[in-house]
Amino acid sequence: MVGQPHPPRALEGPLEDTIARLLSIGTYVSVALLAVGFAGMLLGGISPFAPSPALDPGTLVSELLAGRAAGFLWLGLLAVIATPMGRVLLALVGFVRAREWEMVAVSAGILGVITLSVVLARLTEA
Amino acid sequence: MEIAFLLIGGAGAGIFGSLLGLGGGVLIVPLLTLGAGLSIREAVGVSLVCVIVNSGAAASVFLRRRAANLRLGMLLELSTAAGALVGGLIAFLLSDRVLALFFAILLVYVATTMLRAARRSGLPVAQPRPLDTGGMDAAVNPPGRRTPIDRLSGPGYTVRRLVPGSLGGIGAGIVSALLGIGGGIIMVPVMNLVMGVPLRVATATSNLMIGVTATASAIIYLMRGGIDAYVAAPTAIGVFVGASIGARVVGRVDVRLLRMLFVVVQLYVALQMVLRALAVS
Repeated sequence: MVGQPHPPRALEGPLEDTIARLLSIGTYVSVALLAVGFAGMLLGGISPFAPSPALDPGTLVSELLAGRAAGFLWLGLLAVIATPMGRVLLALVGFVRAREWEMVAVSAGILGVITLSVVLARLTEA
Repeated sequence: MEIAFLLIGGAGAGIFGSLLGLGGGVLIVPLLTLGAGLSIREAVGVSLVCVIVNSGAAASVFLRRRAANLRLGMLLELSTAAGALVGGLIAFLLSDRVLALFFAILLVYVATTMLRAARRSGLPVAQPRPLDTGGMDAAVNPPGRRTPIDRLSGPGYTVRRLVPGSLGGIGAGIVSALLGIGGGIIMVPVMNLVMGVPLRVATATSNLMIGVTATASAIIYLMRGGIDAYVAAPTAIGVFVGASIGARVVGRVDVRLLRMLFVVVQLYVALQMVLRALAVS
């Protein structure tokens, strides 16, 4: 057996189950954070049509610690966006472990496009 | 009152969306523009958030049931995400009136597609091409020895025409980013009619893809201040609750009647969007 490559791990079922679990947890956590922020809006008498607070990563932690609605709303929105990205990252790891190199390239390509959208959004930021 | 409008409206979009097999964006954007007075771009930013939430909830179920084709979905996500990136950048260059006109065209397209589907529902469905395994079934033919096309295909069907499918994905991504929809209205017919994927698998796979597609453009909207957190939260919560209700009652509702009612509403909304584009109303 020495010198022979290891066979790829069978991942059809487990990978899909793991990704499903991540999507499920990510969605529930996102909605829960949005719900906490929404409760803060109700308690603070904030109208949904009031000027929206801007996303400021520098003050996000302090807003969360102060229990402000805006902090939870932005964390929830970031969790919404992070969930599909996490799904692609998880798939990339799974495909590397199974040595499915075409799918590794595809997963890396998707993450590349998402990274490019962050860079381009940053360059063209209002 | 405003909060109740967004919660109930979002829930309605979630229920109707899951009953009619839509991501919800086609309903949320008109709700926020015509109902709440938001600009199309503001409504699209909120809609993209709702679409991602909806996709996450639905895709997890489809993956567990092995209804979605993970590999095919991810391959097509390369093109839908690239299209969404381009669309997200273009969206900030277009005026609200142009976007309203595009949305009206989309609504007419969706209404026409639904009418055709209703007419076809009584006809026999085309059978998928059997998977050519050269006399070996998938269990005998291990994953390591199959061709890439085999690995993208599923039980009972062989994926074909990857290039036209990917081009369709770019178009779906651009439309998704411009109009705040998931893109399933384009990708399901592309996968089914062009790539030979059975309708049930195409629908489930599209649901999986929608999250990544919408994320690529939502990042641009987020970083350019195009997502209103105060509007997004109640609407997304409403959509999430509504979609959960819709998934539970889908077997007990006469979808044909609902579909016809929905077509009429869509055509009315399309007219309102045209009037908005012409700045008449």
